[in-house]
Amino acid sequence: MLPTAKTPPKTGLSDLTVLVYGQTKIGKTTLCSQAEGALFLATEPGLNALDVFQAPILSWDDLLIACAEIVEGKHPFKTVIIDTIDNAYKFCTDYILKKFKIEHESDLGYGKGYAIVNNEFQRVLTKLAFLPYGLFLISHAKEVEMDSRTGKYVRVVPTLPDKARKIVLGMADMVLFCDLEPTTGEDGSQILRRVIRTKPSLYHEAGDRTGRLPETIDLDFAKFYEAYGAAPAVNNPKPAPTKPAAAATK
Amino acid sequence: MSTPLMTSTYSMWSLFRNCRKACEYRYVTGLVSLQKDPNLSFGSLIHECLLIWHGTRDLAQVLDHLERSCAARVSDDGVRRDWHLARAMMTAYATRYSREDFYIIALEKTFEGPIVNPKTGAASRSFLLAGKVDGIVRIGDSNYILEHKTAAQIDADYLERLWTDFQITIYAYYVEQTLGIPITGVIYNVLAKARLQQSRGETEDEYQTRRSELIAKSKSGTSTAKRKMPESDEEFQARLAEKYADPEMFHRETLYLSRERFDILREELWQLTQEFLRARNHKVFYQNTSFCFHHNRPCAYFAICRSNGNPNVIDNFFEIAAPHEELREAEPAF
Repeated sequence: MLPTAKTPPKTGLSDLTVLVYGQTKIGKTTLCSQAEGALFLATEPGLNALDVFQAPILSWDDLLIACAEIVEGKHPFKTVIIDTIDNAYKFCTDYILKKFKIEHESDLGYGKGYAIVNNEFQRVLTKLAFLPYGLFLISHAKEVEMDSRTGKYVRVVPTLPDKARKIVLGMADMVLFCDLEPTTGEDGSQILRRVIRTKPSLYHEAGDRTGRLPETIDLDFAKFYEAYGAAPAVNNPKPAPTKPAAAATK
Repeated sequence: MSTPLMTSTYSMWSLFRNCRKACEYRYVTGLVSLQKDPNLSFGSLIHECLLIWHGTRDLAQVLDHLERSCAARVSDDGVRRDWHLARAMMTAYATRYSREDFYIIALEKTFEGPIVNPKTGAASRSFLLAGKVDGIVRIGDSNYILEHKTAAQIDADYLERLWTDFQITIYAYYVEQTLGIPITGVIYNVLAKARLQQSRGETEDEYQTRRSELIAKSKSGTSTAKRKMPESDEEFQARLAEKYADPEMFHRETLYLSRERFDILREELWQLTQEFLRARNHKVFYQNTSFCFHHNRPCAYFAICRSNGNPNVIDNFFEIAAPHEELREAEPAF
């Protein structure tokens, strides 16, 4: 039961839990779609323009069933992408409300409803993160006013509710903020470069506990992969599952 | 070359007693939450007001300080709530304690002294102890520490718990030792926080919904319900003033300190220094999970512990701040 050797550091992207967030249409889904053996658990529409393997997830029950199939391992996928984790959290809330026959989390009193939702959410994500697959969680971005010890300022954060955000950030190896950076083009004109920010600042949340990534990378999976320094090739052969959408069918 | 002495405070030792891990995060790593704790900011505001009041006995100066400190109340509901509460609390306080039976010797007085091994009398080569008392007052020939507290409720449990206050024993002992002022006891000056909320009224839609529900329940099919309008600042202040007219909203409790408590304190403090050194040398500050939800809310470092120390949580929700901010000299408030 007890270990006899230290756990080696994770070296492949497929071992990591990554939160990717940013404004709508910036390219979060496209970025994740290029991960090795990507399987989208699609909790919202928006994947139509992409050639990806996807299982539509319309409820927390759907997600649990999909996860059970992933655990079984009879598939070629190597990276699980929940797009978006915000909707997954909403499904989790709906699931708990239905289970306890209540209309709102506060109906259980003393914050109990919120705690039950968060515990269920964390239970499933932790279990997924433990699997030998990469886990990418996609979220949108919002601006919040921070009331800090030194004054107020605006910060960009994932759209998840506060406690859920702390759960997700607490299990993520990387928090990647997809952003636009104003730069000057060759002809001197101002252009907006799409970038991934990997280090936190007062004005956005981000992080890289592997310590491998530079502060800013072009929002391009090949460049991200190169920066991470992982061994496998970027364009991995796409898996060819016999039942690509089976995960979503009950 | 000798290592510089580490300044310690009551807050540090109290946290070390409660959870060594939290103590490590705050006093070894220097982490504090990015988000301001509204409870602490209200307590600080009232301490500033009491400092001005006891220094000047001029309510106008107190209210003026509140106006300046809470300038953001126009756009910030939290600041507005604090302003209302502090204004009503201090106005009532000034009336209630328009005359005091004590004479003020010092306000916001800092001290610093050695931590001594009670067995050998030798001073610690690792720690100093520093602090700041709200006030030192004299009644007759006796001196007392004046300690201000704000509390959600002043009940029997709250009052009975006061004697366990490790802070005040430390303060009394060190005031005696470092400032040479013999201390007889402590006057706890407790101010209750009213739980009243300023009514926001209801929107036209909310009113129509409520009215429809009343009509549906009514046998006559009609209702005389009127839309609830927002409570004005004046109306809310009047309601708060009525609440603070209740003598139960303020309490003074005098506790006398025996010399035996000082002996116990010296033993405990020395023991704590040895435990802290051992934890630091071995780099093992263990968690006390029974403390995670002290006061029925998560500890400031709960998110870090829950994530097993994930640096993403530390980097995004915390910042490094100098320890013992409470020891900073107060800005001249009057």
